Amino acid sequence: MFKSLSIKTKITVGLAGIAALFLILLILAYNNFSKLSAANRWDRHTLQVLLETNQITTSVLQIQSATRGFMLTGSETLIDPISKEQAQAKAHLEKVRTLTLDNASQQDRVRKLEPMMNDWIVNVINPLIAKRRELNKTVGMTQQAASAADVLNGSRTIADIRGLIAEMGDEESRLLAARSTESASLQQSMFLLLTAGGALCLALTGLIAYLLINALLTPLNRLTDAVGRIAAGEQSARAEVLADDELGKVATEFNRMAQSIQDSQAKELAATNMLRAKVDSLLDVVSKAASGDLTGAVTVEGQDAIGLLGNGLKRMFDNLRVLLNNVQKAGIQVTTSATEIAASAKQQEATGIEQAQTSVEILSTTKEISANTTQLLRTMEDATAVADFTTNATAEAQTNLRRMDLTMQHMVAATDSINAKLAALSEKASNINGVLITITKVADQTNILSLNAAIEAEKAGDAGRGFSVVATEIRRLADQTSVSTWDIDQMLKEMQSAVSASVMGMDKFSEEIRRSVGEVRQVTEQLSSVMDQVQKLAPQFDLVLQGMQSQAVGASQISDTMLQLNDATQQTVESLKATSEAVHQLQYAAGDLQSSVATFSVNS
Amino acid sequence: MKVLVFTIGTDRYGLPLRAVSRVLPVMAMKQIPGAPDFVAGLMDLHGMPVPVLDVSRLAGVAVEQFWLDSRIVLIDYVADGALDAAGQRQLGLLVEHVVGIDDVAEATLHDPGIDGAPFLGQVAASLQIVEVNELLAPDVRALLFPRQAAGESA
Repeated sequence: MFKSLSIKTKITVGLAGIAALFLILLILAYNNFSKLSAANRWDRHTLQVLLETNQITTSVLQIQSATRGFMLTGSETLIDPISKEQAQAKAHLEKVRTLTLDNASQQDRVRKLEPMMNDWIVNVINPLIAKRRELNKTVGMTQQAASAADVLNGSRTIADIRGLIAEMGDEESRLLAARSTESASLQQSMFLLLTAGGALCLALTGLIAYLLINALLTPLNRLTDAVGRIAAGEQSARAEVLADDELGKVATEFNRMAQSIQDSQAKELAATNMLRAKVDSLLDVVSKAASGDLTGAVTVEGQDAIGLLGNGLKRMFDNLRVLLNNVQKAGIQVTTSATEIAASAKQQEATGIEQAQTSVEILSTTKEISANTTQLLRTMEDATAVADFTTNATAEAQTNLRRMDLTMQHMVAATDSINAKLAALSEKASNINGVLITITKVADQTNILSLNAAIEAEKAGDAGRGFSVVATEIRRLADQTSVSTWDIDQMLKEMQSAVSASVMGMDKFSEEIRRSVGEVRQVTEQLSSVMDQVQKLAPQFDLVLQGMQSQAVGASQISDTMLQLNDATQQTVESLKATSEAVHQLQYAAGDLQSSVATFSVNS
Repeated sequence: MKVLVFTIGTDRYGLPLRAVSRVLPVMAMKQIPGAPDFVAGLMDLHGMPVPVLDVSRLAGVAVEQFWLDSRIVLIDYVADGALDAAGQRQLGLLVEHVVGIDDVAEATLHDPGIDGAPFLGQVAASLQIVEVNELLAPDVRALLFPRQAAGESA
């Protein structure tokens, strides 16, 4: 039950118990003290009563002695105090009565005492005094004024009074004795109470203090001990819950906290181990990948950061594998394509050079056609003039046209003849080449001859000195011959290439001429019909003239276009050469690419 | 001293003219299997087989082709015990870039100071004399002129 109380209640209860003990002790002590003071008061009261009774006795004795003195001397001065003493006695008696109001027996005695005293004064003292005074009047007579009876009577009364007063004193003394005994017992009980109560209070206070300290310190020590053990690394240490108070709650909360710390540490350790395993697995795959082996599989999965990283790496490796596969395939394809492109580029280059030569020939042909057209125009102009001059000249114009046709045919023939001559020239050039080889051989032989001649001259000594000079000259001539031969050879090669180009050009030219002849014939036919019209309608001849002029312009335009085409073809050849070079570089690059990619392995 | 100037690699060398018999154009040569690689082969000189040495290869410089001025220099080889009836033995030297005849003053010739191939002689300016008689090592000589060696031993 004590354990379920809160600390505040425990302390309050303990302190309240101590305070209550002290309060009880104080009340008991106060009670005894008040009893003691009351006993004291009663003691004093008794003593006052005794004092008053003594005073009465004294007053009675004073009256008796004064009376006896007067009796003896007859001096009036001696009886003066009697009345005073009587009054005093009465006053004291009155006081005793007031003091002993609570005591009925004492009141009885007081009531008896008063009349006895008055009776004594009146019946004994006053008569005695009066008798003496009578005697005083008889001068010189000394006589006994009082009889024995009177004195005896007085003595009896006095004895009664004294007896009563003594009774009163005895009564009071008895009361005093009784009260003294009572107060002594009170004192005894007071001493006992203080000693025993104080000891009991101390013992109880000590017990309460021990219980309180025990209730507070034990859980605190258990807590401190548990904290120390946890601090020393013992994770499973717990504080024992002893009570239901605040410290008990603190211990419970502390235990819960320690449990949660232990749980969370265990959880964290497990998570760290799992994380390390995952990272090791990832690192293994990445290391393999870094050395070029992409076949490692990523096994880490999950929704946490490492899992996402693993997924990302897996995707990356998959993509990389596909990419490298593609790159390897593409490298092979690029190499193949580059080789094909190189071959076709070379082919194109050859074709382009051929084209360039062809276009040069076409150009010259076109110039010829242009010139012819100009000539035709002039003829047409003449014809027009003739037509203008006389419409009868149309037949002549037709004849001119036919002549032109003939001229064209002659031109074709001339071209053929030129071709034949060029072929002859080429043959001659070949002959010259043969001659040159002979000359070269001769020059070589001459060189050797000159050397041998020099050797022979040297061996001949002084006799061969002149011959030595000749040999040197011969050698110089041979060298010059060699150089010249080489020059001629070069020129001949150039000439041969020019001749073969010319042959090809002439062939093309002949083709063009033949086509032009066809066209001219067509024109001639058209012209014939036009001439018929001209003959009929001379003014329309001008239109024909204009047509011819535009034809001339067209021919010159063709010529210009051919020039441009020639330039373009040259550029094409240049660019084809550049393409060929670039394709070679591409081939090298593709080879490099293949060898680079081959260092990666993508298939497990 | 007159010398026939030729080159080995890029350097100029001189063959003393007194040792030279004739200069011939490069002609077809029969190979001699088993001979050292500096032996160019056997040439047919008016019906007489004459061994030809490739001087460039002998000097350690490989030759890729025959030039227009590559020549076979016919020398009269004089060596101990190698004399035939005429007292001499003919030997062809295949050399390249035969420039011509040059006159080298005796005073300008000096010892090279460094030992190279055994057939290399004195040096003048940028030209080094080739000692004809030192061209063949004894074992090669024995290979090329077995008849003479056999004759000697007999």
